[in-house]
Amino acid sequence: MPSAVSRVLRSRVLPLAAAALAAAALIGCAVPQTDALLAATREQPRPPVLLQAVPFFPQQDYACGPASLAMAMGAAGRNVTPEALVADVFVPGRQGSLQAEMLAAPRRYGLLATQLPPRLAAVLAEVSAGTPVVVMQNLGLAWLPVWHYAVVVGHDLEAGEIVLHSGTTQRLRMPLAVFERTWGRAERWAIAVTPPARIPVTATESAAVAAAIGLERASPQAALTAYEAILQRWPASRLALFGRGNARLAMGEYPLAVVAFREAVAAHPDFADAWNNLAVVLLETGDRPQARVAAERAVSIGGPRSAQYRETLARVGR
Amino acid sequence: MYKRFVKLLSLCLVGILVTVSVPPQAVARVIGTEEAARAPGGAAQPGANIHVPDRTELLAMLDRDDVRRQLETLGVNPLDARARVEALTDAEARQLAERIGEVPAGADASILGILFTVFIILLITDILGLTKIFPFTRPIR
Repeated sequence: MPSAVSRVLRSRVLPLAAAALAAAALIGCAVPQTDALLAATREQPRPPVLLQAVPFFPQQDYACGPASLAMAMGAAGRNVTPEALVADVFVPGRQGSLQAEMLAAPRRYGLLATQLPPRLAAVLAEVSAGTPVVVMQNLGLAWLPVWHYAVVVGHDLEAGEIVLHSGTTQRLRMPLAVFERTWGRAERWAIAVTPPARIPVTATESAAVAAAIGLERASPQAALTAYEAILQRWPASRLALFGRGNARLAMGEYPLAVVAFREAVAAHPDFADAWNNLAVVLLETGDRPQARVAAERAVSIGGPRSAQYRETLARVGR
Repeated sequence: MYKRFVKLLSLCLVGILVTVSVPPQAVARVIGTEEAARAPGGAAQPGANIHVPDRTELLAMLDRDDVRRQLETLGVNPLDARARVEALTDAEARQLAERIGEVPAGADASILGILFTVFIILLITDILGLTKIFPFTRPIR
């Protein structure tokens, strides 16, 4: 009996199940974000957007990463060729580019690369605000991935389409549902590359701060501009207030660094790191008594870096 | 295993070097923005005054070196590799050091690649006897 059951299973049920599974895998799952967006568009029409100013570079071989970055950076005002970016982001052994490096490369050109919220609405909002968005897609299946970078340069919600500079195709019109699936299979990775004075409209405070901190590694001056822009939108941002001081310090502008750290501790009196740095800069400017006051504050607050605060205090002298 | 050993050994060596080379008097050091972002920004916490040796910086240095070597192995020119890891934040270096071979690398969108993908899927399902698309396949049972 069991063998008869298994035969039936094998002959009837298995192929059916397999076909259903294959269909599900090929067609993909639901597209809730697309459905919601298109429903909202029916209620309230949104005009189509196409960013004409974004340059187009057709990808060479497997270099969709360098090509996509070159397009986004060109739109942000840095004219770099994909060939030049190959040395920055292409990994020959992987025949592709890594996401972390895609985020890091624009910093070396003084640009801010910000990771965007993983929502379709955010991508479209950035494009509507004039910023092209670099996205990663998996054009294949979850278990047989075909990774790809492209640049979103427009959308047409009436037609249910998104417009991409993708591969060798300029202004590829893709159904929004197909985009949501292929993008969803790459964990909805999206970044905006902007001049440091311009924080992407949909960026969260923590994403904007993370982008500016990354930029500080390559260019304190550009990072300072980014921190100022962040403080315009989030005036109390703890790390932006702090980073502004560190950027000034790295640029050798000690008096302005003192001002920046004083503002940081005024807004956040419990910010021991800022008190510590204030003490160090005051010591550099020769104001030992004030440096001691600041170092004592840092030590009295404590925290995971209290050992360093104590070293600072020892240095300024009790 | 070997990699772990090398990592541990270099950590010890760096530690020894640092302790030996730092002059005995205290140095006033600024806290980096990245460092402040890593742990809660210095607000008072329970147990705050217990001294825990901060090894995160040493580890970050080793991660960075790890990524640089892996990039070189993957065909990146050594000079470029050095400049590239410098642009990474500690968190990014960490992520890549742990799984550079697994993270997706955006590559190609050629129609050939997609056709090949579909071909392979159907070939496998043919061989499993679930489909019969190609005349030349024979199911395994």
